[in-house]
Amino acid sequence: MRPIERTFELVLRLYPRAFRDEFGDEMRAFVEARRAEQRHATPWGRVRLWCHLVADGVAGGIREHAAAWSATHARAGAPIVSPALLPETELPEALMVTLVQDARYAVRTLSRRPAFTIVSAVTLALGIGATAAIFGVVDALLFRPLRYPSPHQIVVVTMTRGTSVDDPTSYPDFVDWREQARSFQSVAVIRNQSVNLTGRESPERLSGAFVTASFFSLLGADPLAGRLFAHDETEIETARPVAVISEGAWRRLFGADAGIIGRTLVLNGNPLQVIGIVPSAFNFFAGTDVWMPITYYPNKNGLTRKDHSMTVIGRLRGDVTVTAAAAEMTAIAKRLAEQYPAENSGFGAHVETLHTLLVGDVRAPLYTVLAAVALLLIIACANVANLQLSHALARRREMSVRAALGAGRSRLARQLLTESVILAAIGGVLGVAVAYAAVAVLLKIIPIDLTFFSPISVDGRVLAFAAVVSITTGIVFGLAPALHASRASFREALAARAGSLAARVGRVELRGAFVVAQIALSAILLIGGGLLARSLMKLQGVDLGFDPSNLLTLEFRLPATKYAQPEQISDFFTRAIAEIRTVPGVNSAALVRAVPLSGNSDVRAYAASGAPEPEPGKAPIVQLNTVSPGYFRTVRLPLVAGRDVENQDNTEAPPVVVVNETLARREWPNRSAIGQQIRFIDTDRWLTIVGVARDAKHFRLADGPRPQAYIPYMQAPEIFTSVVVRTSGDPLKFGSLVRDAIWRVDRDQPVWRIRAMDSIVSSALGSKRVLLSLVAVFASVAVLLSGVGIYGVMSFAVTQRTHEVGVRMALGARGQEVLRLIVGQGLRLTAVALAIGLVASLGATRVLANQLFGVSPTDPVTFAVVPVLLAAVAAVACYLPARRASRLDPLVALRRE
Amino acid sequence: MPRPMRTKEPPPSDFLPLTPAVLHILLALVDGDQHGYAIAQTVEELTGGTVRMGPGTLYGSIGRMVANGLLEESSRGRGRVAEDERRRFYRMTALGRRVLESEMERLDRVVALARAKNVLRRPEPA
Repeated sequence: MRPIERTFELVLRLYPRAFRDEFGDEMRAFVEARRAEQRHATPWGRVRLWCHLVADGVAGGIREHAAAWSATHARAGAPIVSPALLPETELPEALMVTLVQDARYAVRTLSRRPAFTIVSAVTLALGIGATAAIFGVVDALLFRPLRYPSPHQIVVVTMTRGTSVDDPTSYPDFVDWREQARSFQSVAVIRNQSVNLTGRESPERLSGAFVTASFFSLLGADPLAGRLFAHDETEIETARPVAVISEGAWRRLFGADAGIIGRTLVLNGNPLQVIGIVPSAFNFFAGTDVWMPITYYPNKNGLTRKDHSMTVIGRLRGDVTVTAAAAEMTAIAKRLAEQYPAENSGFGAHVETLHTLLVGDVRAPLYTVLAAVALLLIIACANVANLQLSHALARRREMSVRAALGAGRSRLARQLLTESVILAAIGGVLGVAVAYAAVAVLLKIIPIDLTFFSPISVDGRVLAFAAVVSITTGIVFGLAPALHASRASFREALAARAGSLAARVGRVELRGAFVVAQIALSAILLIGGGLLARSLMKLQGVDLGFDPSNLLTLEFRLPATKYAQPEQISDFFTRAIAEIRTVPGVNSAALVRAVPLSGNSDVRAYAASGAPEPEPGKAPIVQLNTVSPGYFRTVRLPLVAGRDVENQDNTEAPPVVVVNETLARREWPNRSAIGQQIRFIDTDRWLTIVGVARDAKHFRLADGPRPQAYIPYMQAPEIFTSVVVRTSGDPLKFGSLVRDAIWRVDRDQPVWRIRAMDSIVSSALGSKRVLLSLVAVFASVAVLLSGVGIYGVMSFAVTQRTHEVGVRMALGARGQEVLRLIVGQGLRLTAVALAIGLVASLGATRVLANQLFGVSPTDPVTFAVVPVLLAAVAAVACYLPARRASRLDPLVALRRE
Repeated sequence: MPRPMRTKEPPPSDFLPLTPAVLHILLALVDGDQHGYAIAQTVEELTGGTVRMGPGTLYGSIGRMVANGLLEESSRGRGRVAEDERRRFYRMTALGRRVLESEMERLDRVVALARAKNVLRRPEPA
């Protein structure tokens, strides 16, 4: 369908259904014929045709509704046929002429009042632009499909255990699912993990993913060059040493060398042959550089049923719903739990669409921001409506004259409305510029992986949205002033000056209503913003358990091929730590498997000595970390009892563990935990507790206390680790010194994610911070607009009451009293507005509840501070015009009017 | 369209004065049945392009004219026309013709009046 016909489809919806059924097809044929006739017309001619068809169509639609209405509301027995029932007062041509006239007149009027026009247009541009930008984000993330073919069929299958529904899967489970499940066209497994690329000038760390061949076909990827994996190449028995690289990596690492296909890369020490390049447009997790067969996933125990680290995605068959697939998977998980009680009991399966999974955490914040920006837009509209009303005063004469000359009330109202819509259109155009800028900023600060989604940009949909919003806002803020002004001017025209007082009182009341609305809405925004700010402060004030200042962290991994023996790994670590400690300014250094709040985490089910053996699947969970001696001292995580892990806690010594207070209290409430033992369910080694550490935040800042355990590196050497370094001074300055220290031990070690612990902590606040800053910006603009609004109304009221003030002062009233009178009036408005705003906030903030931390949605502090703040703004806004009034010379004041 | 039950045909004067669109549609159908788009084209031709009807005006008017018995769907109905099955042909009814005639008489009187008042300067065509 051509654009013109598509537009006309929308126009047709304006008609009553009966009419559409009767004539819709013919009207479509009409439009097609007209278009065909005009296909050689100039672009301008086509625009005119389009305007004509739309204007005529819209006018006709309104007419048909009116006709249908009169037909059903006609008195019984009254003749249905009468010329009045053919309410065709204006042919579209004539309508267009007056529209053009109105528009021309409006443009003239607006350009005669540049200050008003600029202030209004900028106000609207901010509102419209911000709304359009936020809509663009919400649209791309929530409303539009993911960027894969038939994305609604793509699901993620996870394992459930207890209350957790998103546990990763093991490879053998994946294989069982693949064999047994009938709901899917195909399933694939993905394991993201960084890999070392060596054999080049300097070692590199690449972002890697270990997958099955079905991963690419399921997501509909096509190679840019070469080919993708064949099924056999990624299966355990038939795997081949092959790899696929991303277009990004190809350009960045290999200078877009076309000869890369067929070359061999040494990845984690394995020589893998590059067979294909995947275009940038395809990516699953942001920035994956290289995909390898799942069999190359480095796990010292192999791909066992206990290794829960795989993400499974599936593509549903066309006729299978998510619920049906979930039911089937639950049944399969149950069978597997019976078949493998040791490994699988307690595990279920969970299916949800990839889209739901991806937007789950951001949906609520996005809607919050959208609601906040919509409030802002309404406040902006109210402000412009207020400005319009003040100008209606200035134009009282003009309107009266036009009314006296025979301009109908509807014509006057339409004239004013045309002005508003044109103003809004200007605001909309500027708003699009604002939207472009805002989207660029939003893209930088949105804390989510955008790879999966339709690109966020100011596209046709956002532009259309901005256009609709502009026109609607034009009508919304223009309607009340237009109706009011046209009504008032009639009265004024008829009653000359005597009646103008009533009209002016009405106008003050109307403006007062706008101000009340503005302040009330601002109160809602400010209270929402206040609650978010308080949560953020609470989160920032959370006791981490350790001291993040002056702490440098960096990650590296040893190639499993070069460091095959645990002794080699221990040896490397011992030497590296010793070397790092020689760097001047380094106070202490230690290893830790997973840096707190870095997203890395390991959890295990455990059993405690002295307690009955837990039933399969019911064992308590502990957060496990592996540390080297000195870790607790380095991060300043105090030990409350016992000792740190030590160098002699090696593979020859009895296995030991340090637990946290929560675990100790939970298992041995009234006794010392030192000397007690725990065992991880998947092993049979009992670990003796030698120390108790304080609780520390590990996964998220908002997490409550949970059992934690630390085992010594020397007893469980792993190739994958992080280093934490306590420095004297800015930790990032030590980044390259520490890296060089590691390279002095082994030149082939890529080192990455060199970060200060402080910044890790603040990025853990990421989405909350973004949400807060957006709402804060909107709330501040709202307060500013409300302040301007109430100032405008009070100035207006003061001007109106100049004469009255003059009389009062002539009769002996003092400046102070006048001041009190006027400020009092403004504050009464404010009080009404705040009362409304507070009650509305009680309802509105309830939707925020999930995004708050440590603050109730009815937090008394916020609910007390915001009204005081707004009242203060209002008081200042009232005081300025009131002071002007109180300093009036009564003689001058009396002469006015 | 709701079709009112007509017990008795209303007098043509009930419809006067005609709106420009209705008048021109009737004029276009004097020479024979036409479908909607052709009516619009004929009107444009007859008026030298000064009256240009859009689909809303055209079908809105046709709808009311059919409902009031000024037009009817022609026997060259839907489906018989190969070029476009969506198009229906319309024909002026006897009532429609009488309404057109009364309107013309009315306009004639208006023109005569205007001429008597010297508003219309052009001589009557021979």
